[in-house]
Amino acid sequence: MSDKALEPEVLYDAADTGIIISQVRSEAVLLKAGALQSAIFNSANFSSIATDAKGVIQIFNVGAERMLGYTASEVVNKITPADISDPHEVIARAKALSVELETPIAPGFEALVFKASRGIEDIYELTYIRKDGSRFPAVVSVTALRDEQNAIIGYLLIGTDNTARKQIEAEQQQLDQRLRDHQFYTRSLFEANIDALITTDPSGIITDVNKQMEALTGSTRDELIGAPFKNCFTDPDLAEAAIKKVLGEKQVTNYELTARSRDGKETVVSYNATTFYDRERRLQGVFAAARDVTERIHLDQALNEKNAELEAANKELEAFSYSVSHDLRAPLRAIDGFSRKLVDGYGERFDDEGRRLLQVVRDNAQRMGKLIDDLLVFSRMGRREITLQPLDMDAMVNGVADELRAAEPQRAIEFAFSPLPRAWGDAAMMRQVWVNLLGNAVKFTCRRRTAHIEVGGSAEGGELLYWVKDDGAGFDMQYADKLFGVFQRLHRQDEFEGTGVGLAISQRILHRHNGRIWGEGKPDSGATIWFALPLPSPDGHLSGGEAS
Amino acid sequence: MNANEQELQILLVEDNPADAEMTMDALRQGHLVNRVQWVKDGAEALDFLFGRGAASAAETRRLRLVLLDLRLPRVSGLEVLRALRADERTRRLPVVVLTSSHEDIDMVRAYDLGANSYMVKPVESEAFMAAVGQLGLYWMLLNRSPGETI
Repeated sequence: MSDKALEPEVLYDAADTGIIISQVRSEAVLLKAGALQSAIFNSANFSSIATDAKGVIQIFNVGAERMLGYTASEVVNKITPADISDPHEVIARAKALSVELETPIAPGFEALVFKASRGIEDIYELTYIRKDGSRFPAVVSVTALRDEQNAIIGYLLIGTDNTARKQIEAEQQQLDQRLRDHQFYTRSLFEANIDALITTDPSGIITDVNKQMEALTGSTRDELIGAPFKNCFTDPDLAEAAIKKVLGEKQVTNYELTARSRDGKETVVSYNATTFYDRERRLQGVFAAARDVTERIHLDQALNEKNAELEAANKELEAFSYSVSHDLRAPLRAIDGFSRKLVDGYGERFDDEGRRLLQVVRDNAQRMGKLIDDLLVFSRMGRREITLQPLDMDAMVNGVADELRAAEPQRAIEFAFSPLPRAWGDAAMMRQVWVNLLGNAVKFTCRRRTAHIEVGGSAEGGELLYWVKDDGAGFDMQYADKLFGVFQRLHRQDEFEGTGVGLAISQRILHRHNGRIWGEGKPDSGATIWFALPLPSPDGHLSGGEAS
Repeated sequence: MNANEQELQILLVEDNPADAEMTMDALRQGHLVNRVQWVKDGAEALDFLFGRGAASAAETRRLRLVLLDLRLPRVSGLEVLRALRADERTRRLPVVVLTSSHEDIDMVRAYDLGANSYMVKPVESEAFMAAVGQLGLYWMLLNRSPGETI
């Protein structure tokens, strides 16, 4: 009913008697108040349950019907509110109240209204059970209803559905838990790091540290937080410059500082640091991780020392081979030269045996000269600088084979070449490899009426593969590991000439090209020597290692 | 053949007596020279060349070839070469380095200092004799240097 509905009577009143008007007005006021009460009582948002003094439900409003699923007729004069409450909670409440009020309270309706019956304001949480057995949390406010003599005639229980609030509470709790978990996780990460971690505000004041930082500085977390970052180091200016650099460039890497702990212990650390921000991208400060590099510096020093030693040893070796080159040759030349002079000048005075003996002297002097020469080549291959260039392996192999054929025109040698992949390498060195491999093939096939030597190659498995196969004397695979040793020979001097350096030189050359070499053979069934080179990268360098 | 041509034509700077003997054998075998002066180290070579010792300036002027070893006591072959090239009288005198050294560094230095040739002595004596013989043939008979009156 609206105010407007009353208006005609008000106008009527102005034209007629005041009494009637006042009667009409008070009736209207009453009507209005009753309507409001009724509206309040029938609000669907509140469950309003009124009982008699014993608790039997007398009024069950629409809010109660909606929340609890019963119709008024199903409960009025039939049950008490205790019957639609969680019985365990009712029992618990009875117990608690008994203790609180020091009087026995029965677990039932009395427990729900006892306080109200004593005139104590009572609002409590309770779980209501719906007709379908489902439950929901409610906040219930209980009021005792009294007659004019102040005797209790019943109770009014006004309940609100607390589900939404409970849910929010639960969510809040969950969020809190997640936040705690997350904080724990973050802290654990912070602490589990092997580096000394530190955060500072934009002015370089420490805001957090981990245990490693405590150990590094010999100070506690509480002592460090709030102190300037720079104070932890032997050179505060350099440390401050580090913070400035981070702020300016957003990050620094491998910034070396020396931390000084309280007891004076100094530790060289390498810093990696970045700025960090809040969600609004406002600068919060600097996050820095310091790694103890003392060990690395010690290793670096040790490495430098070793390198110096190695360099000295290399110099010594160079001086040695230089002197070998000069000083060992001269006496050999004299032995050979003067033996020859003896034969030339006094030959008639020697018999055949005498001349043979002199020839043995000369042969050995010459052989030693050859050994020295080969050793020098071997040593030079290790020292020489590599000049990389594209290599036409086909042309190289053909050239070498022609030379070898020309050197032994009386031999029947059949070369079979399949096309070879082009390589990158040092032309002179790689040619030396082919000279050695093809030279060996020619040498070890000298007992064959016709020697067969095959050369092939392919690009496979990410590398270039080349091989030289012959049908010569071969070798026993049990000595395969000796193939590439200096002065290691698998045949006697009277079988095949040689110093045992050729394959060692080849291996050294291939190692310097990041390649490798190996062999397969069988006595009297020939040998195959393989070698592999890395594929040239697009920019024409060999991958990895020295040669790149 | 006049008297002057009988005189000194080659200076051999060699500390190893065996090498020196074989070198002179080889030169004589080719009948290329009548007189080789052998000095045993760099200091002796400098004395001889620049008149500080036994040799005379006249002898220096008649020299047509220096065979120079590199590894010499006291004053090295390279120092001798530097001194030769620094002096107007010997600036264009042919110098052949005759050494056991295969080292690139020695060759580079020798050529940089103005050596006319660089020969590594073979260990094998036939090869050695042949090499020195050819060397003598070339420098004494075929090569022409400024100021020669032959």
